[in-house]
Amino acid sequence: MSSLTPSQLFISFSKIGMSGFGGVLPWARRTLVERDKILTSEEFSAILGICQIVPGPNIVNLAVCVGSRFAGARGAAAAVLGLTLGPIAIVLLLAILYQHYSYLDTVKGLLRGISAVGVGLIASTGFKMLRDEFRFPLMLLVVVITICAVTYFHLGLGWVVLTVLPLALFLARKKALSS
Amino acid sequence: MSMLFSVFLKLSAFSLVAFGGVNALLPELLNLAVYQEHWIDLQTFSDYFAIAQAAPGPNFMTVTLLGWHIYGVLGALIATLAIAWPSSILIYFLQRFIMGIQDPIKKKSIQYAAAALAIGLVLSSAWQIAIQINHSAAAYALTLATIGFTLFTRWHPLYLIVIGGALGVLGFI
Repeated sequence: MSSLTPSQLFISFSKIGMSGFGGVLPWARRTLVERDKILTSEEFSAILGICQIVPGPNIVNLAVCVGSRFAGARGAAAAVLGLTLGPIAIVLLLAILYQHYSYLDTVKGLLRGISAVGVGLIASTGFKMLRDEFRFPLMLLVVVITICAVTYFHLGLGWVVLTVLPLALFLARKKALSS
Repeated sequence: MSMLFSVFLKLSAFSLVAFGGVNALLPELLNLAVYQEHWIDLQTFSDYFAIAQAAPGPNFMTVTLLGWHIYGVLGALIATLAIAWPSSILIYFLQRFIMGIQDPIKKKSIQYAAAALAIGLVLSSAWQIAIQINHSAAAYALTLATIGFTLFTRWHPLYLIVIGGALGVLGFI
């Protein structure tokens, strides 16, 4: 594993934060896996997986995981600050603009259009990660059950994790043994 | 100032139940901020959610904007810190623990299981957000087109955002 300094992590995560329209996950993947090549696709999925079973903002968890993995606690702090400082400044600026111009139909339409694309970007991150699962199709069962539990049975997320985790671990063990 | 302290405590507690990230938490956040604590009205909350989606940066910016609404810049920083610090400390030590597992099969099993769960939660989250923010067939079509372009082309996502914004301004969405 290569090593990265806190300031390199700050810069990488600044790029992720500042370009992450409509949610940061697709951009995190793009930057860390495809462009900066800090992680492989499977490492990214695995780390994101750990970050997703722990509560809290996934992307901050991701910054803590990746940051501490390469440069300890200082790396984690650098990654989180890089991720959040720029976007907070921008979003506050937008909030001030919004106060003045929210009555315009143009502004309302603009936000509607961008939101619809943003949600598509989040979905496509999920679909891209799904591609890795086809090497061991039984794991797709876990994905399908999770989606049903959340969207159809409306289980709280803590309960979803508790219910699905035993099956996920059982099938994951089979997958680990088969590879 | 006591209001600021209340915001800090409530959001810190949210940090530890926010399984699947802040998007999964939005209905509960809305309930707390609008109906229980009356920090903000429903329309403003919806608009802040839209801005957080439209702006660069993490989705939890809805929380940052909520803090700003309550107590200005200090409120924004406190709210952001509150939603992030408990889970950050938790993941910091949990990751150490998982990385420390020596048995490769056990380690891979945990990672594969977590990855599969994450995919399910990301897709569910996208689905639930779509239901909340898309109010027309055209909006759903735009969402589906975005998924298609992202999966089957090498287009930079920023182009899609610009196109989506333009379609919205022209009144199609």
